[in-house]
Amino acid sequence: MTLRDGIVLATGNLWRMKLRAILTITGVVIAIGAFVAMLSFAAGSHGYISNEYQELGLFNTMQVYPGKSSEDDGESKIPTLDMNAVDRFASLSGVNVAYPFDDFSVDAMFGDTLLETRAQALPVAAARTKLFSRVLAGRLFDGDEDREAIVEESFLEMTGTEVADSVIGERIVLAVRKPDVERALFHVLSDESGELGEALSRVVPESLGTADYRRRIMTGTLGGVARRFLEGFLEGGRVERETLIVCGVVRGAGSRSLRTAPILVPAEVARRMSAGTIGTDPAELYAALQSGRLFVGEGGGDGEFPRVTLDLGSRANHDEIGDSIEAMGFEVFSYARQFEEIRRSYLILELGLAVVGLVALVTAALGIVNTMFMSISERRGEIGVLKSLGADEETIRTIFLIESSIIGLLGALFGILLGWIVSRVASIILKIVMEKQGVPPIDVFATPLWLILLAVMIGLGVSLLSGVIPAARAARVDPVVALRSN
Amino acid sequence: MSRSWLSASNLNRSYDHGPNRVHAVRDLNLHIARGEFLSIVGASGSGKSTLLNLLAGLDTPSSGTIEVDGVMLGELEPRELARYRARLVGMVFQSFHLISHQTALQNVELALYFSDVGPTERRERALETLDRLGLSDRVDHRPAALSGGEQQRVAVARALVKEPEVLFADEPTGNLDRKNSEQIARILMESHARGLTIVLVTHDSEFAAKCSDRTVTMDYGRLVSENDSPRVRHDTA
Repeated sequence: MTLRDGIVLATGNLWRMKLRAILTITGVVIAIGAFVAMLSFAAGSHGYISNEYQELGLFNTMQVYPGKSSEDDGESKIPTLDMNAVDRFASLSGVNVAYPFDDFSVDAMFGDTLLETRAQALPVAAARTKLFSRVLAGRLFDGDEDREAIVEESFLEMTGTEVADSVIGERIVLAVRKPDVERALFHVLSDESGELGEALSRVVPESLGTADYRRRIMTGTLGGVARRFLEGFLEGGRVERETLIVCGVVRGAGSRSLRTAPILVPAEVARRMSAGTIGTDPAELYAALQSGRLFVGEGGGDGEFPRVTLDLGSRANHDEIGDSIEAMGFEVFSYARQFEEIRRSYLILELGLAVVGLVALVTAALGIVNTMFMSISERRGEIGVLKSLGADEETIRTIFLIESSIIGLLGALFGILLGWIVSRVASIILKIVMEKQGVPPIDVFATPLWLILLAVMIGLGVSLLSGVIPAARAARVDPVVALRSN
Repeated sequence: MSRSWLSASNLNRSYDHGPNRVHAVRDLNLHIARGEFLSIVGASGSGKSTLLNLLAGLDTPSSGTIEVDGVMLGELEPRELARYRARLVGMVFQSFHLISHQTALQNVELALYFSDVGPTERRERALETLDRLGLSDRVDHRPAALSGGEQQRVAVARALVKEPEVLFADEPTGNLDRKNSEQIARILMESHARGLTIVLVTHDSEFAAKCSDRTVTMDYGRLVSENDSPRVRHDTA
């Protein structure tokens, strides 16, 4: 008997008991549907992250952060993440580009709109990495000294611009306030109300030895000095302006470690603007106060950076580079390592979801076993006839296995369709919810070819396994007994 | 009589039936020549059907041997025994044993599924055999839509379509009226005339005598008598 003959016989048998077959197949359809829908979510979200990583070149990107204090010769020493460090990173083998996240506060005048926002220095070499490859309109800089600016997607939202192309060629005026510590000190000393002098005259030097008294003086009298200093600092100073032409619009790479400022300016422009500036951001002011930069007039552009981004070559040894930088006392964050952890998490998620789907499949398998046993019990006479006509045990076994396989295959095919429909509906609902919450809608469901093949294989495998014992029992039917009882 | 083609030697078949041991066939020796029409008669329970099943390779003897054209059936692997049934043996049963959800044509074609015959040839041979048995207008009918006589003719067609060496017919007219019985008898005799070896089991001595070359009688699992049938005596006279 050929396979085709077996399929013809098996199909005829299933057609004869179509209601039972349909019910059994429905069980498999639901199980496979659940399996596919759940893994579609895992595959989709995993695929989305993987695509993002690929698109942004994150597999070849590292971030370096300031290190924690380490003991060196008995003294606590914190390595500084400054331009010297950036140069050292850039000189490492396998590092294509090393650039700091160097942003500063600016007042941006775009058309009639005045924005208090932040600008970031972007060296041309950095702009050419994949992180900035998602150009929505226009182009990137051509040189570090160009008087051009790239705006990020969030800038469009701030200015209420809907079409990215419309900002290309437009002028943007950036203004930074250069602090003037002398003016601030003058503001403290020119206390016309005399409140400060009066408060200082009330200080009892002998009581400064008491902790409570000291605290009261610091929060009361000296707190007033600091307030007046800051007032003078913020209101004084000179303003530095740069007029730039918007040459491109890029899509932001993400949040946290991938965050970019709304305005990206060439490195040289940024150096001119940020040198000697202190932003008005309270956190930045506090940091400047704490470090002493506020009083020595050093700007953010010449100091430490919160992070440095490294773009690595495709054959770079991530571990070696990471170890070298960590040995310098910095902290390293590797996206490739992070992706491995994400992949492991998704593997666990996929396994978990697959187990849930497989539980449903086990139930469906029991349905197949039940159907097959019922079929055998009703067709004992028929098995006897087939044996009398020359069918051997293997042939009988094959016929029944083909029957269970057809149940599994049809169940798998319709189950994949059901799973796909469920995932599409869920995706549409999710996108609507995302849009309502102001989150860019993404498709976190995917039905890749491997999932379809896996579902078919599992459907077939489970149905074949379910059919093994019934088929073996059918093959062992004694034809004489079967014919007598028919 | 020509040389033995199918022979059974010291054949025994016993099985347990509840607490009792049933000896369906006892020390039976039988020789059948190629092209012979042998009838086995006897009362119900005499072991006729068991003997037929043993000769057809459907059942296995408790002891003794069956030799077909020089081949010992007991020495065959299950697959070879199935091939013996598929290629050399045709079987007809009292209760037809047609597959209820298949048409007459499909039932007849089914016999060729296990003989390595391709689909086209299967269909042609099945249609030809059904036509020969007067069923050309019933090919698409399911068994339930056929009369008893027609069903048995389909069953005979299913046995003959393989062009077997031997036809084992177990009470083929047991469920038929006189007219249909005569029709089946005529078909069997025509097939025999074409050289087919036939072993017929029946309790109808008259039917056996009318059709066969030789009749053996079984009682309690043994052969108790052997007679050339009147037809043979008449033919040889």
